[in-house]
Amino acid sequence: MAYSPLLQDLLEALRCLPGVGPRTAQRMAFRLLEQERDGGRRLIAAMQKALDEIAECGQCRMLSETELCWICSAPRRDASTVCVVESPADVIAVEDSASYNGHYFVLMGRLSPLDGVGPEELGLHLLEARMDSGDVQELIIATSATVEGEATAGYLASLAHQRNIQPTRIAHGVPLGGELEFVDSSTLSLAISGRLSLRED
Amino acid sequence: MANPTRVELEPAWVLHTRQYRETSMMLEVFTPGSGRIGLVARGARRPKSPLRALLRPFEPLVISWSGRGDLATLQKAERTGPGVTLRDAGLAAGFYANELLIRLLERRDPHPLLFAHYSALLEELARPERIESGLRNFEIALLRELGFGLNLGYSAQDHAPLDEDQNYEYQLERGVVPVAMEIGGLVFKGSVLLAIDAGNWTELETRRAAKRLLRYTLDYYLEGRELKTRKVYTAMLSSRPSSD
Repeated sequence: MAYSPLLQDLLEALRCLPGVGPRTAQRMAFRLLEQERDGGRRLIAAMQKALDEIAECGQCRMLSETELCWICSAPRRDASTVCVVESPADVIAVEDSASYNGHYFVLMGRLSPLDGVGPEELGLHLLEARMDSGDVQELIIATSATVEGEATAGYLASLAHQRNIQPTRIAHGVPLGGELEFVDSSTLSLAISGRLSLRED
Repeated sequence: MANPTRVELEPAWVLHTRQYRETSMMLEVFTPGSGRIGLVARGARRPKSPLRALLRPFEPLVISWSGRGDLATLQKAERTGPGVTLRDAGLAAGFYANELLIRLLERRDPHPLLFAHYSALLEELARPERIESGLRNFEIALLRELGFGLNLGYSAQDHAPLDEDQNYEYQLERGVVPVAMEIGGLVFKGSVLLAIDAGNWTELETRRAAKRLLRYTLDYYLEGRELKTRKVYTAMLSSRPSSD
C-alpha cells in the first residue's frame, strides 16, 4: 500500500478502536489531515488528559478521575444498596434506565471457569470489604444472562448470604413491545418462573 | 480434511463460546457424528441476533454447518427442547465436564455413545443430589470411549474375577492387580472396585475411592495440563458457607 510511514503509523494506531478496520481508519486519517486539524488537536488533548487522569473509583471500580466516582460521592444516593455489574458500560445502561438510586460495583469481567477466570482474577476482595463494612443491606446482581453471568451471580449470592445481606437478581423477561410468540423459549421460561403477583394488598 | 463439508441438522451441545471479531462468536461444539468441532457463528453477537439466546452451553440444539479445514461456519441453529437449568454446584460441574471434553477429545472424532452419556449427565446435574454420581458415571464413560477403560471387573494378572475381600492396586493402563498391603497409593478393596465397576454409588467409601481413582487417571491422560474449571471451582467453594 502506498502510504507514507507516518500515515501508516496513524492508520495502524486508529485500528485499536472497536469497529475500525483498514477502510474506516483511512477515512478517519484523511479527514483529520485534510479538514479537521483543529478537531484532531482537541482529540489528542482530550485523549491525553483522559488516559492520564481516569482510573478506577476506589470504592466501586467505575471509571473515574476522582478517588471516589461521582456516583459513590453523591450525597443523596442510597449506599445500603449495591448493584453489581460486569462493566462500566453496564453502569451507564442502568443509570439511563433512571430506575435506580443506589451504589454500584463494577466487576470488570465475570467468572469464566473455562477461561480460568475465578474469584481471585476478578479481584472481588474490594466488594467483600464493602460488604464487610456493614452498611450494605441489599446486593442487586445484574450480571449478564449467560452461563458465565449465572455462575457469577451464584457466587456473589453466596458471598452476600454469608454476611446476612439480601442478594437479589434482576428479572429476565419479555421486552416491552414484545409479543410472546416471538420471545425465545428460554427467556419466556425465565419470565414465567419469575412471575409477579398482581393481587393488590 | 481439506474437502468442503456440509452437515445438516446434527444434534449438538455448545461447550464453550468466545468472542470473535466485532459481532461474531467462536464456538466449541460437541456432536454425536462429528465429535468436537470448532465453529464460527457470524453475526451471533449482534444485538438482535436470535442466535444469542441459543448458542449457550447446556441448550439442546440441532445445528447445520459447512466449511473446510478445522474451523467451519455455523449456518443454522435451533433448540430442540426446554434445556436444562444448572445452578451453583451443578453449573460448576457442567463447566468441568465441558472442559474435560475440550481437553480430551480430538477434533472430529465421532463419539455417538459419549454424546448420549453427556446428555444424560446434564439431566443429572440439574438435581443436586445426583451431581457427584453423575460426574463419576460420565468420567468412567469418557475414559472408556477414549479407549482408556478402567478395567475394574477382573484382575489384570490372571483375568480372574475380583475377590470382594482381597486388596488390589490400580495401575494406569493396566488395571487392577492383587496386593498384600492394605493401604497405599491406589489400593482398594475388591468390593469397592466392584461397586465402582457396577456404578453403585450408595456407599460413601465407593464414592471417595472413585473420585480418587478417576482424578488420578484423568490427570494422567491430561498430561500435566491443569483443569481451569477445577481450580476455579475450588476457589469458589472455599469461600462458601459450610452448609454443604
